[in-house]
Amino acid sequence: MSTDKRPEMQISERELTAMTRDLDELHESTFPGVRTLLDEFSANLAHITRGHPTGRRGFLLGVGGVTTLGMAAACSSNDTGSSTTAAPAAPASTTAAATYEGDLKVVALAAALENLAVTAYTGALDAAGKGTLGTVPPAIGVFVQTAMKQHQDHAAAWNAVLSKAGKPTISDAPLSITADQVKALGAAKSVPDVAKLALDLENAAAQTYTFAAANVTDTGGIMTAATIQPVEAMHAAILNFVLGQYPVPDAFIGVDKAVKPDALLPK
Amino acid sequence: MDPIDERGLRELLVESDDLQSDAMRTATRGLDDYVEAVLDTRERSGSRDPGGQWPGWSRVAAVTGLAGAGAVLAAWPAAADPARDVQALQTAASLENLAVATYKTALTLPFIGGADANAVVKAFAEKTMAQHIEHGQAFNGAVAKLGGKAQNDPNAKYAAVVKQTVPTIKGAGDVVALAIALEDVAAQTYTKNVSQVSTPELRQLFASVAGVESQHKAILLAVKALIDGGAPQLIALPPDAAKLPDAAGGVGFPDAFFPTEKASPVEEGAVK
Repeated sequence: MSTDKRPEMQISERELTAMTRDLDELHESTFPGVRTLLDEFSANLAHITRGHPTGRRGFLLGVGGVTTLGMAAACSSNDTGSSTTAAPAAPASTTAAATYEGDLKVVALAAALENLAVTAYTGALDAAGKGTLGTVPPAIGVFVQTAMKQHQDHAAAWNAVLSKAGKPTISDAPLSITADQVKALGAAKSVPDVAKLALDLENAAAQTYTFAAANVTDTGGIMTAATIQPVEAMHAAILNFVLGQYPVPDAFIGVDKAVKPDALLPK
Repeated sequence: MDPIDERGLRELLVESDDLQSDAMRTATRGLDDYVEAVLDTRERSGSRDPGGQWPGWSRVAAVTGLAGAGAVLAAWPAAADPARDVQALQTAASLENLAVATYKTALTLPFIGGADANAVVKAFAEKTMAQHIEHGQAFNGAVAKLGGKAQNDPNAKYAAVVKQTVPTIKGAGDVVALAIALEDVAAQTYTKNVSQVSTPELRQLFASVAGVESQHKAILLAVKALIDGGAPQLIALPPDAAKLPDAAGGVGFPDAFFPTEKASPVEEGAVK
């Protein structure tokens, strides 16, 4: 079916790159709205971690939130480590799971998961640069770079919430699944190998945010998870397509592959 | 990798159907939980749920205890309201009905469903239409169980757009552009609905469908770029990645955060 040669393309690389640039501008235009959501989410969480529940619209103490008050006090003197580039104002960058409770634990989980995705894509680019994966089509390279940038944006967003709530940011991927994922990446010998690994991560991320949308209690947090979930799902669709698999296999995004908050590891 | 043949594609679709059935069962369980919670709430009298307005209240209260439950009630999303939930479900059903009708029309066109069609595009249109039918059934199923009236009509606002656009369609690219617009509105609507409905189960339902509509959009964006680029032959499963234009790798997912400014208002497709 695909026997035609590249010169037959009627659109130039320059035109397509311009399209991509337009899309980048679109992305930048949506970011302020997300920032507003995150700021509100952070403000609500900050009130909670300081022990002053606010009457501000939308914050729910919920199941974990009541505990958060005590936990925040108990952990506030234990935050050590270095800050991250994503949120330089953060007090620390420890990854003790016990530091985060309630909504903040889901936020920390999300940041760690995004960092894992960035690590995977960075590793893929590194392996491609060394020739380990064989010939890498340029379009695949663009996919990896674009998806990686979006995951960096997601991680920065979640870390900004942690930072503004006075909690340590997450600069790495302290998850129970990380070791296996890194090992699998190290064993990858081809583009499809890496694509399958990335697909698993994107599916896990999409399902995690689906789970988070239902289980986070703050309206801003719910909306943040809701606006990131479709993006991870889109990454997964393109990866399915590249792998020759049906790109939208499910009529509903499930949660059975979601990474649950208890996957966040203490250091 | 060689492009797969029609039979291979059908086999993939069958595998996909199996996966989808599992996902559908999960979604149905979520809906059942939601409906059960609402009905439980309505049946109880003298509960701590003022006016029986808080579906899911009984289970939330059970796990949070009185103090925690009080906090939950105090800060429940301002718009929480079962009637509003029904409206959101009906509006969602209206968008699904329009999507189904549009794909059905598209499949009658020679360059989408006929002899001139790209096999992958045709299969995608058929499968996507089937998924929209399932979404509509899920939304209307919840509406019916909640005592509301099923929305069987297409969304009036966007039906007018489709009606205006169809006569101008000249080729597959035009159809794909129209489909992108509809998928985008649906995905943005459901993404926003996640924060507007009143229970975790309903939030999960809207999120799970939003993700699927966004996947439709991603594939359609990639397909449109190739059609507009004069390279429809590269729309194959799998694609010949080596021949794809570089920028095609990122054209399917333009935003790091899914937008919601085109979301339909909750009441837009509600049954009057």
